[in-house]
Amino acid sequence: MVALFRNAREAPRLRIVRQLPLFATLSRRELRVVDSLLHERRYLKGEVIFDAGEHGQALYVIVAGRVLICRQGQPDAGRVAELDAGLVFGELALLDNAPRAAQARAAEDCALASLSRTDFESLLDTHAIAASKIALQLARQLGRQLREQDLMSERRSL
Amino acid sequence: MTSPADDDASSRYVSTGPLVWVATLAITTLLLLALKQALWLVVPFLVAVVVYYALFPPVHRLMLAGVHRSAAATIVAGAFVVAAILALVPAVMWSAAHAVSGQEAFYRYLDAGRVLIGKTLAMLEARFGFLERMHFHDQVERRMAEFGESNLQQQIASALLGAAAWLPSLLLAPFFAYFFLRDGQRFFKFVGAAVPNAYFERTLYMLERFDTTARAYFQGLLGLAAIDTVCMGLGLWVIGIPNALMLGAVTAVLSWVPVIGPFIGAILVVLVTATDFPNQPELVYAAIALLVSMRLLDDFVFMPLTVGRSLRMHPLPTVLLIFIGGAVAGVPGLILALPLAGLVMVIVGTIGGILDDPRLRARHAFAKRLRAQRITADLGSND
Repeated sequence: MVALFRNAREAPRLRIVRQLPLFATLSRRELRVVDSLLHERRYLKGEVIFDAGEHGQALYVIVAGRVLICRQGQPDAGRVAELDAGLVFGELALLDNAPRAAQARAAEDCALASLSRTDFESLLDTHAIAASKIALQLARQLGRQLREQDLMSERRSL
Repeated sequence: MTSPADDDASSRYVSTGPLVWVATLAITTLLLLALKQALWLVVPFLVAVVVYYALFPPVHRLMLAGVHRSAAATIVAGAFVVAAILALVPAVMWSAAHAVSGQEAFYRYLDAGRVLIGKTLAMLEARFGFLERMHFHDQVERRMAEFGESNLQQQIASALLGAAAWLPSLLLAPFFAYFFLRDGQRFFKFVGAAVPNAYFERTLYMLERFDTTARAYFQGLLGLAAIDTVCMGLGLWVIGIPNALMLGAVTAVLSWVPVIGPFIGAILVVLVTATDFPNQPELVYAAIALLVSMRLLDDFVFMPLTVGRSLRMHPLPTVLLIFIGGAVAGVPGLILALPLAGLVMVIVGTIGGILDDPRLRARHAFAKRLRAQRITADLGSND
């Protein structure tokens, strides 16, 4: 019942952000703080989101649509992964300060929420609990991706 | 402090060639010319920026303690306004009560200055015969008499009237500072939303550098004022001059105005010393030696450690910019030239970096084509 009233008062945009797995564990107050930092971007199918080798300034969460991660300039032959709504990409460049490892393209028209490196780092300073929740979700997704890659390489070797 | 990754991004993303320097100088000059027309707004804006960077650390601390940004901004800005009122009201009342004695003190300081100049010139004439033959002392006295007390009074009266005219617009400063503290982040989001997708991450990088540069400059300025106050205050106290810390603070704040600020601060210290110790010129000379030492320490040690780090500018264009600022927009131009040039350089450098990157421009052109195709998809010919 309380949740019903809480959701009723929640802005539609916040409801969308809450549904993203990366932010699902945040409290409403934390969600509002994070939402104030998110940049909304829209890409058309085929548009490049970032290139391999770029110095990454932001991580992206797919709000709607799908994103293709591929080797630079090889959307068909160099396909690495195709990510659905709710998933995060571009986070490695933020975590280890390394250049982007692959190219990201919109596999279909998509809406992305972007969190900049500066905002993520300031969030770690100012709202450590919220930042640690986000970092935990990031670690979970990275773990899942590693397991999936292990499975794929095992299948290939068989 | 920048990380190696940031330095790497800076070298790849920001153009720093001679064209960027020329464009920075030209745009800064044009901006100073434009700002000159709206000084009533620029000055409170500048004060607000200084207040913003002074108040940001406590706001940040409150945010660290879990307070929301808006609430933290309201608490800190409110406390600042209350503290300012508590400090200003007694100061204004005291000034009103001592207006007459203040005028007397002004003439006392002026006379002491005259006596000091007279004694110094007499001493110089005694030491150097050619000065005596030139009647140097008499010439200076005559020039001072020609300039006249009434002329000086007029100059000071017009300066005070000018300052009084600024006061109402200065009341805007706390409001500006409050909204900077509360909504600064929204401004960055607003700018980020306005750029095409291809340039989005570069814009994020530019905004981050913009904020870092401005923060480093203005917090450096405040740090420099604190160091100057302590060193100058300590030096004056050792010499034996009363109100040493207050004099130190005044000269430190005056030194924010390049070129003429330190000069006015020096005159102030010399006049106070000459008035309080009329028969001890050696104290005045000690104060002058201290001022010169402080100037050298400021220019070669403190400034590079505080403000200098923020702008990453070569000394030659720095000096050039200060003079251009002064010529174009007077005292506010002197103050504004450097921070403005630092920020313009961030923007021009980033735009230069984008123009130098054919891949980014190609991505933008491709995205534009995609959008155009989408918009015109149903507009096929009906031949």
